[in-house]
Amino acid sequence: MRRRSFLTLGSAGLALAQKRSQRTPVLDCDCSFAPQQQRGRGAGLGQSSLAGFERLQSGLKVMAMKVFGVSLTPTSDRPYVFCKLETNQGLVGWGEGTLEGKAGATMACIEDFRDFVIGADPMQVEHIWQSMYVHSFYRAGPVMGSAMSAIDQALWDIRGKALGVPVYKLLGGPLDPRGVRGYYHADGVRTPEALAKLRETAIQQGVSCFKTGLPTYYEWIETRKKVSAAVKSMQILRENLGPEIDIAVDFHAKTSPSVASILVKEVEPLNLLFIEEPCPPENVQAMAKIARRSTTPIATGERLVGLFGCRELIEMGVVDILQTDINHVGGITGLWKVSQMAAVSGISMAPHACEGPIGGLATLHVNAAMPNFVVQEVCGQIQPGPTDKIWQDWLGFPAMRMVEGRFPLSQKPGLGFDLTEESLAKYPFGGTRPMARVFHEDGSVAEW
Amino acid sequence: MNRIINRRMRLSVAFAPQTAAAKTDTGDSITEMRWFPVREPRSGNRYTLLRMKTRSGLTGWGECAHAAEQDSRALEKDWIGKSATLYAAIDSSSPLAGALDMALLDILGKACRAPLYRVLGGPTRHKVRAFTDSNEAAFSAVAVAAPKPASRNQGKSYQNQVQSLIQQLPEDRDFVLSAQGALTHGDAASVAHAIEASHPLWFDEPCSVSNLETVRKVSGETVTPLGFGRGISDAGVFQALLREGLVDIVRPDIAQWGISGARRIAVLAEAYYVAIAPNHDGGPVGTAAAIQLAASVPNFFIQHVPLPHDPKDREMRSAIVSGGLETPRDGFLQVPTGPGLGIEVNELALEKYRAA
Repeated sequence: MRRRSFLTLGSAGLALAQKRSQRTPVLDCDCSFAPQQQRGRGAGLGQSSLAGFERLQSGLKVMAMKVFGVSLTPTSDRPYVFCKLETNQGLVGWGEGTLEGKAGATMACIEDFRDFVIGADPMQVEHIWQSMYVHSFYRAGPVMGSAMSAIDQALWDIRGKALGVPVYKLLGGPLDPRGVRGYYHADGVRTPEALAKLRETAIQQGVSCFKTGLPTYYEWIETRKKVSAAVKSMQILRENLGPEIDIAVDFHAKTSPSVASILVKEVEPLNLLFIEEPCPPENVQAMAKIARRSTTPIATGERLVGLFGCRELIEMGVVDILQTDINHVGGITGLWKVSQMAAVSGISMAPHACEGPIGGLATLHVNAAMPNFVVQEVCGQIQPGPTDKIWQDWLGFPAMRMVEGRFPLSQKPGLGFDLTEESLAKYPFGGTRPMARVFHEDGSVAEW
Repeated sequence: MNRIINRRMRLSVAFAPQTAAAKTDTGDSITEMRWFPVREPRSGNRYTLLRMKTRSGLTGWGECAHAAEQDSRALEKDWIGKSATLYAAIDSSSPLAGALDMALLDILGKACRAPLYRVLGGPTRHKVRAFTDSNEAAFSAVAVAAPKPASRNQGKSYQNQVQSLIQQLPEDRDFVLSAQGALTHGDAASVAHAIEASHPLWFDEPCSVSNLETVRKVSGETVTPLGFGRGISDAGVFQALLREGLVDIVRPDIAQWGISGARRIAVLAEAYYVAIAPNHDGGPVGTAAAIQLAASVPNFFIQHVPLPHDPKDREMRSAIVSGGLETPRDGFLQVPTGPGLGIEVNELALEKYRAA
């Protein structure tokens, strides 16, 4: 009974919504589980999420939340989804929740969290995170995970600025003050000549790692022809990039467990850094079966949400490397927790990032405080492209470009950048577009 | 070819330990670490406080059970000159990791001019439920020590002995039955089963965790919640207990793990819908650290406060850290609002109660 009595069954959003608009709450659920029904001692009806916390408030309050869809090209399948929080003291925070093919849903989901955020003390990020997750009742899939990620990053940005330190210092870092090791993609670099040139550039620039994909799509079972071609595509990388450069290959879940099992075994002599997503992510046992029969390190995790989404992979020791993405896993809070849990099982971290510059910069802060960090992805090539130019225009510095093989760490408080709404206005939201759709020869749906 | 060799050298530098690079001397670098062993005059309970100072003039405090000369020297060698905010670099296998962690975080909070829970993303709660070893109204629960068994595997007679102790408690008084890992697995299982109807908060350390299969025997025979953690110095053991579903309350020792170490174990527990109730056998700085931890994690349940019986001992604790830190109101400790750990340590009291 005693325990019950201090469960405050307050409906945070409800109370805040009331405060903001003075509207009468609509209690659609008449069932006996609705907290509104539990009257009596300690039930807490009508209390706001702030009740009891008054004495411990920082004085900062979130006053406004703005959500931006940013399409670099009018038909982009991954318009950036950014979230800006404004406070009563002028500090603002930026976060990102870009989710390929689901921009509209993610933007709407961020809006759905408005009542959790407006009026809240932004310093209480763990508390707000828990409330968003738990009080959503249905727990998180990728849309909600990405929306929470955007809000979480923006809160951390404000927290760092308010406390006057870069976010990585709040997390106990930086473990390496020189920065965060990263890799570029080596898309389409397949000929010995092109690879030799890439190797030379990499050595000049101090870049120590690349990632690439498999050349084609795969049926449920493949035989000699396709297996040999796939293995050759990886051999040529090692032969021409040399023994010192780390090579990762992203299977992108294009392969079935049966095909992946064969490939990861055949490429053992190549000493790859890892093979990523050898099969789709929903079935841990299937991934485990692939990993069990090969010495090639296996990485996965970019599509997983929250600590809960990674628990089974970690506790069963299925993978060598986790790649959770700061824009989907639950922001800085989510990524940090996954890294801590993985570290206990000796699993390394190589976080995914294939979205905009906010999540990219945010992930560097968490990496800098991970004891089990290996390498950070960036969706860019060794030669800067048009996207790099746009990021430079927005932020005033070349975000996510490496120096001597590392992403430099900002010394500025918070996430360490300034961004204006005006600079984004040149790239209006072009609407949600689906990701590419790929079909097999017989017209059936293929993974890509 | 030269290029390749250069590249190799660069790689080997890239992956060398970071100690040297991390020792860049900024304002927050550590300049001094000093250890203050103290002893409660009546209980004889000992603990050691760590005082850490930085170049910028900040002071951080930590606490451990005992700082052996050899260990404290090794720690100083590693940390003097390093940044005081680098708590992620703590080697949790050091016997003084907990004290180091508290002191570093105290300094981080002071550098940020914010209470530690705010630095870590809290407060996640505005008061901290507490229990102690004597039946005091101000605390919300009491720890009942299971009697030391006269011999092994006594069965029914031992169960009765435990039951009669519980029956002496006022009705509706929440309690923890604490066995300090001293029972055989057979006795632990039968006691756990026998006390189900008394609804303890949990049965603490009913048996040793050295063999998870025997722990499984205990947990498989009862729905009485089980607590484990005191003396576990490897996070992997917590992970295994959680994975196997053998634990209901995880109890990392605050002096051993410090705040961020215990927080990491809270993260593990969160994935299993389990809460922490950190073990605490030490002094008031440890209590201050435990309060900050409780206000920083979502899955905290209750804090043990090792408040001694004798007024002389209590006097010592409140002389070292004043402000009613360890005095709950209506079962809950207050969350302080000062920066860092939120306490001032009285160094004169440390001299007065210095352990010989």
